[in-house]
Amino acid sequence: MSEVRAENTAVLTTPEQQRALERFYHFEARLLDNRQYQQWLALVSPDIQYSMPSRVNVQVDNRQSGRESMLAVEHELESADSLGSPLREETYIHLMLRVERAFKINSWSESPPARTRRIVANIELMSEQGDELQVVSNFLLYYTRPGTQSVLYSGQRRDVLQLQQGDSTADGYRIYRREVIMDYANIELPTLGLLF
Amino acid sequence: MRIADLVNADASLIGRRCWSSDAVYELEKKGIFGRTWLFLGHESQIVAPGDFVQAYMCETPIILSRGMDGQVYANINSCSHRGLPVCRADHGNTRRFVCPYHSWSYSVEGNLVTIPQEKELRTRPDKSQLGLKSVPRLESWRGMIFGSFDENIIPLDQYLGDMRFYLDAFFERFPQGIEFMGAPHRWVINANWKLPVENQLGDVNHGAFLHAAIIPREAQDKIAELGYSVVTQPGHGATFRLMPEGAPVDDVAWGMEAMGTLLGGNEVQDYLREVQARAAERVGSVRARMKGLTYGIYPNLSFLWSNTSFKVSHPRGPGKVEYWSWAVVPADAPAAIKKILRSNYSSFFGPAGILEQEDSEVWSQQLLGSSIDFADDRPYYYGLGLGEEGPHAELPGLVSVTANEFYARQFFMRWRDDLQAVEDAL
Repeated sequence: MSEVRAENTAVLTTPEQQRALERFYHFEARLLDNRQYQQWLALVSPDIQYSMPSRVNVQVDNRQSGRESMLAVEHELESADSLGSPLREETYIHLMLRVERAFKINSWSESPPARTRRIVANIELMSEQGDELQVVSNFLLYYTRPGTQSVLYSGQRRDVLQLQQGDSTADGYRIYRREVIMDYANIELPTLGLLF
Repeated sequence: MRIADLVNADASLIGRRCWSSDAVYELEKKGIFGRTWLFLGHESQIVAPGDFVQAYMCETPIILSRGMDGQVYANINSCSHRGLPVCRADHGNTRRFVCPYHSWSYSVEGNLVTIPQEKELRTRPDKSQLGLKSVPRLESWRGMIFGSFDENIIPLDQYLGDMRFYLDAFFERFPQGIEFMGAPHRWVINANWKLPVENQLGDVNHGAFLHAAIIPREAQDKIAELGYSVVTQPGHGATFRLMPEGAPVDDVAWGMEAMGTLLGGNEVQDYLREVQARAAERVGSVRARMKGLTYGIYPNLSFLWSNTSFKVSHPRGPGKVEYWSWAVVPADAPAAIKKILRSNYSSFFGPAGILEQEDSEVWSQQLLGSSIDFADDRPYYYGLGLGEEGPHAELPGLVSVTANEFYARQFFMRWRDDLQAVEDAL
């Protein structure tokens, strides 16, 4: 029989805390879909580690046959910690460069700009230590731009948020770490260079 | 439609159907992908016996593996019984590849080992004749493994020719050579396979325009001032800056100007300075001053020295490409430095690259222009700098400024000849 392990369960939040997290993520999604990237940057810590593991079709290990670990998503990821080849491993400077580029008329792949609509859901607080919160969320992002077929981006974000003390506005958190797990091995998407 | 109608004598005019015609693509399979050396992988990817990675030769799936005898093997990933791929993982280590359909199993070298249902039958097939189809020619140079479907192709050394001089300018800087990090990024783009190739073969000229949002004007001016474009033989080429003698080490050293390095701190910067300090003794004084940009090896292998990535443009029909790219690092660098150097590739190139997102956009847009009707009387103009290339005292091959599009004309002259050879034999 299987049992659910402790590290797999979300922390029991108060309704207020859950609503604060949802409010933050919905606000963030709205900024990104409205192309208010400069305001989005204000939600990001200058010390952010922003990464996107690559995902490969792995050889299943026969010795793990019959166990959940056989199909663990983690086996498929070449993350920033690994000696593989992650798709992105960026700092605040990289994100700033992406934001600056967006507001130049010669950012050709998105000029005219792409249209995006994202749904962020399944927001779970996984742990809380002091002001630091580990939160996972899922997203679906619909993306269209001239000359390109519309595509659906699907993935998960594993965040570390920091609560901003004394900040009672909607953006009461800062994104301190973000790892974006995309649901693709072959990248049949126009770009993975968006702000997810 | 004849190939001669698509590419004129000096290849200054290139027809739109070169990029979009099914018939042309079928000729490319026979005349190019069936007759050239195609890049399969690097020895650093298959170190231990049983290690394997997947590869492609055009659209044909290949298993590249290290046999139990330590030798490298390349076999077509298709079961001799019903044709299914027998290897389903991108990479790994195994003793057997097993077909899902009837469990025929193959050794890592490609030999057929078991036919489970044969014990119920009186006749026994000759298993020695039923292994995976092997790639007829397989050779490697500096750890780079190539295969060819042409049994009579010239040796790889000879095929690479003077490109070895330029490749060694990078490879030989490092006592233990280079290593490929992790699995390739595989990006599916609606584009013809030749345009990413052309882009990396010598088209640094687009940087000042397409990438003006990111690359500062001064950096582009420097490339125009110090840059060279070289064609060692049609289809093979290199672009690089030749830094002035006595230039400061930080200006000459590979990787110093990249963002990961700039943000990475002293350890990585000192490592790159140290590499540069030994460069003259390792690769000679001329090549020590080379600061590479883009390389191309006919037909579809590219090396982006500036951001240290190898790339292969795998066709998927005339209008689609599976563009593979690997982060490449010096094999002897400490792990922490390898991680910094790989980010110089992924932040700017590959599927998430801030620069390459504009490239993939224009490659797709070019396919639109190549697919339209009523404009076949207006082939693309490839005549920039026609005839301005010539020999150079220190650099093998034809040499010119980077704005000269002779690298693309030379590619298309070879391409035309390769396709005409098939056409003539029909």
